[in-house]
Amino acid sequence: MDKMKCTSCIVLLVRLVLVAAFFLAALPKIQDPVAFAISVESYRILTGQAVLWVALVLPWLELIIGLGLMIPKIRRTSSLLIILLLFIFIGLHASAWIRGLDISCGCYATESVSSNYFLLISRNCALLIAAVFVLARDWRNHA
Amino acid sequence: MGAPNTLAIALHEITRELFFIATLTVLGAGFSLYLGYAQVPWAEPEIAAGEIQFADARVLDVIWIDARSIEEYEAGHYSGAIHVDESNWDSGLVVLMNRWLEAPRPIVIYCGSKDCKSSYRLADRLRQALPEGEIYSLKGGSEAWTK
Repeated sequence: MDKMKCTSCIVLLVRLVLVAAFFLAALPKIQDPVAFAISVESYRILTGQAVLWVALVLPWLELIIGLGLMIPKIRRTSSLLIILLLFIFIGLHASAWIRGLDISCGCYATESVSSNYFLLISRNCALLIAAVFVLARDWRNHA
Repeated sequence: MGAPNTLAIALHEITRELFFIATLTVLGAGFSLYLGYAQVPWAEPEIAAGEIQFADARVLDVIWIDARSIEEYEAGHYSGAIHVDESNWDSGLVVLMNRWLEAPRPIVIYCGSKDCKSSYRLADRLRQALPEGEIYSLKGGSEAWTK
């Protein structure tokens, strides 16, 4: 019984970390989509209207799936989308690193101008593992 | 028989949840647009690269170039504008260079209307002839200052 409680506490803690990570990432982007659009453009993958679409929609998606981890009705799909987004972010950072781009990550408001790609990728890998853990628990509990 | 059913139910639920998340995301994005936080992605940009608005050009001390036909130029042109078009490129360029070398400043080219392209072609050609120059096409053409 104690073991179950302990596991539930760990799952809740991991869940809260993910919620905080996505909530804090989304808010500054929602407040300043222009700055986020500049960060998106600096990856040199998207241009023009596509950049503006990403700057408009992605922060809201991050916010909703971040908070969605706490809402039983959309928990699983939120975890799935978080995993998908983290894979995309890791791929983008790796691509920028390989191309030698010296850019701002655009992940959080307080980040420095130049990105430390190793730290970024490590952080996203840790979040990815956390999201997979939460998804596995939710899936099992749902079944 | 049980496993495919479970999978189908899970897929159905995930589709429903995806729809719910997508709806909330669209509502959020709409809220950003409504408050004016975000730029409307499908709107035509107010000004393209290499263009300048008349209101901005007027307050700058610029060299005006009229890229319309000589007949249109003689019928009326913006005060101080030089006539340069494809037909008098060489002589027009000499006049322009003399004026620019006296006091280097931005160059603004206009043609007949908002749909005309000759000012853009001339601007491209001029950027090659004068790489140090700050060269713009007037958005809206001569209609912008005749209004």
